Amino acid sequence: MPNTAAAARLVTPTMVALWLVLATVPLWISKVGLYPYLGVEILIWSMYALAFNLVLGTAGLPSFGHGAYFGVGAYAFGLCQFNLAPNLWICLVAAIAAAGFAGLVVGLFISHRRGIYFAFMTIAFAQIFWTIAIKAYPLTGGEDGLLRIAREPANFGIVAFDLKGNVALYYFVLVLFALVVVALWRLVHSPYGRVLSAIRQSETRAAHLGYNVWLYKLSIFAVSAAFSGLAGGLFAMAQLSAFPDVMSLNQSGLIVMMTLVGGGLVSFWGPVVGVVIFLIARDVIGALTNAWMLYFGLMFVTLVLFRPEGVAGMIKSLLERRALRGQGSNALRLILRSG
Amino acid sequence: MVLIEAKGVHVRFGDRVVLEEIDLSVPEGELHGIMGPNGAGKTTFFNVLTGRVNMSRGRIRLDGEDIAGLSPHAIANKGVARSFQIMTLFDEFSARENVTMALPSFRARGFDVRHALAGDRRIAEEADEVLASVGLGEKSSVVARQLPYGERRALEVAVALAQRPRVLCLDEPTSGLGTDGSRRLAELIRRLKGKLTIVAVEHDMGFLFSLADRISVIHWGQVIARGTPRELQDNEWVKKSNLGRFG
Amino acid sequence: MLDLLPHIVNGLVLGLLFALIALGFMLIVGLMEQINLAHGSLFALGAYLALQLTGPNPPLPADLAAQWLQLPLGWRYALVLLIAPCLAGIVGIAVEVCMRRTYGKDPLYGLLLTFGAAMVIEEGIRLIWGTRDYVLPVPPMLSGGFIFQDLIWSTYRFYAAGIALAVIGLVWLLIEKTPYGAMIKAGAHDSEMVRALGINLSRLRLGVFVFGTMLAAFAGIILAPIWGIRPHMGVDAVIPAFLIIVLGGVGSFWGAVTAGILVGLAVGLSGAYASEWSLLSMYILLVAVVSVRARGLFGKKSILEA
Repeated sequence: MPNTAAAARLVTPTMVALWLVLATVPLWISKVGLYPYLGVEILIWSMYALAFNLVLGTAGLPSFGHGAYFGVGAYAFGLCQFNLAPNLWICLVAAIAAAGFAGLVVGLFISHRRGIYFAFMTIAFAQIFWTIAIKAYPLTGGEDGLLRIAREPANFGIVAFDLKGNVALYYFVLVLFALVVVALWRLVHSPYGRVLSAIRQSETRAAHLGYNVWLYKLSIFAVSAAFSGLAGGLFAMAQLSAFPDVMSLNQSGLIVMMTLVGGGLVSFWGPVVGVVIFLIARDVIGALTNAWMLYFGLMFVTLVLFRPEGVAGMIKSLLERRALRGQGSNALRLILRSG
Repeated sequence: MVLIEAKGVHVRFGDRVVLEEIDLSVPEGELHGIMGPNGAGKTTFFNVLTGRVNMSRGRIRLDGEDIAGLSPHAIANKGVARSFQIMTLFDEFSARENVTMALPSFRARGFDVRHALAGDRRIAEEADEVLASVGLGEKSSVVARQLPYGERRALEVAVALAQRPRVLCLDEPTSGLGTDGSRRLAELIRRLKGKLTIVAVEHDMGFLFSLADRISVIHWGQVIARGTPRELQDNEWVKKSNLGRFG
Repeated sequence: MLDLLPHIVNGLVLGLLFALIALGFMLIVGLMEQINLAHGSLFALGAYLALQLTGPNPPLPADLAAQWLQLPLGWRYALVLLIAPCLAGIVGIAVEVCMRRTYGKDPLYGLLLTFGAAMVIEEGIRLIWGTRDYVLPVPPMLSGGFIFQDLIWSTYRFYAAGIALAVIGLVWLLIEKTPYGAMIKAGAHDSEMVRALGINLSRLRLGVFVFGTMLAAFAGIILAPIWGIRPHMGVDAVIPAFLIIVLGGVGSFWGAVTAGILVGLAVGLSGAYASEWSLLSMYILLVAVVSVRARGLFGKKSILEA
């Protein structure tokens, strides 16, 4: 974890630069042969990946069934809209709360474990959630899922924004993305985040120093689930539906792969990089061949073997080596220090 | 005042008895050594004392309070610090960061998510003080993984000290150190004598004999001898054992 | 009570096959100290390969294919029972070679790697065979049913139980009565010593991995007519394998067999009450067992505790 000036800030230059770049995306995305909805997907999955990385990258816990919480968020959003109140804010809160609660319950069962036991438990729970989603037809719509979820307007009292268009939705999600990034950056660089990082490196040592390791693992799992649920709720809204597939182990595996490929094990931004790589691969390479996911999987396996620090990690090492050699501009150094 | 009191501590792993009816008491301020051959159960005793392993039966008290069955973090919070035979440092953290994790002032803020850690000067200064006391003052920014072995051992002790413990448990602190390193460590511990209660498991008999107020010898899970270093020098077993060579 | 009998038989059959999968899984865990998450996808691969080979489009040159298809289904099925696991074993070789870099490292990397391998294999299956459900053709003398004591029994179930028992017996013979078995047990106990004795440890590991893979693939072929063939059927195989070694202990042959039968019975019996949800019982059982089980073994720490 960089003990740099950036770590102490609430909002870093990298974040601002990223948001500015992201803000311009709808203006040029069609011109490069892509489409605004892709931007929405990138933002939603990035939120999900950043949330997931709290558990994997920061706390060092292998959660292979995180799709469950994303999915719970999506379903909660839809069910809230149909049964409680067709209000955007209420439904998003429902998504966060339901997913966070699911994470808390699962966490109670698994937080005293780590490593292989932990991984298998997360898989088992994901299968349980997925089975319920598929079989509980009256509640979840079974294999078809919940359909006809609507995009309610973002009503701030004095002004309301219609989110039915993808560009409007994009900017709404971008604002939430920015807030999530700020919150997670602070969390990771706070004392709490430092303790989690210590637990990742040595649970034994952390416990013997007086930290209630179980409570830390439980809390981060629940927090991660809650943010994953937020992403899930936004996903349901964007897709206008919620379906079991997002809870499947396949999808859970995708988020693991994206996060690691991007460099989540060593970099805060790794997950975002991974999401961008994955979605671009899906759209660009997917247009050329049906086997694009296979290639992505092979890339994942290769990186795990040879470069587990992922793309962001490789970029970081490259920049560090150049900065050490005195090359590179001040801009490079600025980027480096911003983590 | 007896700080640590163990009575009839009995530990079994499956059908293997590792500790058999161990009685041990350590008054406050004493430096109590524990020695014995490998596999005798010394580290297991530490594991019982620090909550890592449960006794099958027996009683163990810290300052009169029963600590049997408490979790490691609960016992640590009662003022017991320990170093490990196989080093367990936070390898990605710097020396300063390692020590910071142990400081009570930091531990109290464990669930703080609102503030950034990086800019906190006071904690950094406190950590640096502890590092200086073990001779690592110059190395506070060095990543633990990159420190040479002897300094990692010193860091391990620093982390235990930073907890501001009442009891310091050292598990084979000179393991892997050469004569120089052992000597420096012995000096450090001598400076700590009296200020803390120290229990040290060691193979290096010269180290123990020069520092300990009393020593218990554990063999095959039982205390087979106990006394001051001088008393033990006359002990038959000590004289005959391979450990009987020191200097 | 009597109408529970078919479910009990189901459970026993499942249990024996689970035991077979778990034995392969356990040998790998014992010798390499790695959890192979790809075990399930190799199980699935076995089923798919069998499907392709017995089906109407075997991957053979045209004239050979024509001759092959003229063989009665029974012959083809029997040969495929031997051939398909071998082919799956080849894929297993590739996985083991990739795993070598992760030996000795933080177990997280082994988990991630085999997880990635599982996803790659599953994706490969999806690409080649698509996502629809398939049914494995079974020779007529093994299919159908018979009536006994006023109940209809499935012939296939009995065949499956029998052949699973036979293979479990073979595995037992291998481990207990051959020098290879002794080497495997020695290697699981003390890899340094094995090396010192001049045994090629990496070849032993490769052999065990391939053997474990073949057991999984074989189980996949036998289970395919009962479960159906779908791309993610592997998960339903690897989870019970893990559960079984948690229950039975790593390194215990009879522990794996007994635990396998217990897990199978649990699934089979829950099928009596809520057939749609019977596999779910496996996952709930895993959660219950891992939650309640004592915090690790105090003495010998197994790789699972890492």
